[in-house]
Amino acid sequence: MTVLLIRPDSWNLPLLLHVGGAMALVASVTVAAVALLQGWRASGPAAASLKRFGARTLLYAAIPSYFVMRIAAQWVLSKEGLDNSNAAWIGDGFLAADAGFVLLVIAAIVANLAVRRDPESGLGKLAKVGAGLSVVLIALYVFAVWAMTTKPT
Amino acid sequence: MYGRRRMGYSTLLFLHVTSAFTMVTAAGLFLAIALAQRSDRHSATALRLAPVAAVLWPIGSLLAIVFGVWLALHDSQYSLGDGWIIAAIVLWVIGGAIGGRLGAGYRKVTSSGAAADPSALVMNLALIVTLLVMLIDMIYKPGAS
Repeated sequence: MTVLLIRPDSWNLPLLLHVGGAMALVASVTVAAVALLQGWRASGPAAASLKRFGARTLLYAAIPSYFVMRIAAQWVLSKEGLDNSNAAWIGDGFLAADAGFVLLVIAAIVANLAVRRDPESGLGKLAKVGAGLSVVLIALYVFAVWAMTTKPT
Repeated sequence: MYGRRRMGYSTLLFLHVTSAFTMVTAAGLFLAIALAQRSDRHSATALRLAPVAAVLWPIGSLLAIVFGVWLALHDSQYSLGDGWIIAAIVLWVIGGAIGGRLGAGYRKVTSSGAAADPSALVMNLALIVTLLVMLIDMIYKPGAS
């Protein structure tokens, strides 16, 4: 039995956008998580600056990257004729992407709300929730990469 | 037999791709540091991201090449002499040199308070272009049959 390693050329562009978007998403959520967690440990103006940096990264980098990854995922599925597939790994991908999007939006909202309410102080409860959700998102994305690469049945 | 072989390939692919994601995450942190250093308001922020980037970059890049070469040796359809694999290794060396220099520069700024390297933003852009070309090479596999 042969494993298909070389794809038709027409699948490459959507796959490039899907993987590139996913990489940008993971990178930006991790940057936000590191900034918010470092802000949690810091105090004074440094904590306020880290909180703002993390919140803005979620809003202006992670959410746009998510849309590139998700729209390209649908494009890849359509190219491969898997739109109506019940394969477990596709379900896992949808779970990570769609449930992850809800968590991402909540993290971005609470972190930016924290900046708006109190721009000159440390994290506070809201931004700490944003930090925690960012860490959960990173774990969810590792699960998604595992599902996409190992394609469990 | 087939099941064991496929499991090996999938696991190696997962480890290779996860390592590549770690490399890109470190590059994202490098870029965030460079952007933060452009404003006085965020310069202290930048230095708190540097230690994490300095750890993720060497781990991600080392594991990506180890599992990438392992994949090429593991599967009979790949060969280390394939043009697209040689191109990827050359790009990995270029990326490794740029990332290593960026990491060392940021460590110096963090430990001794030296001024930020004015060429850091250009090096960041060069690193992003290198990683993007590497990703295109991995997806399109030019010359593979």
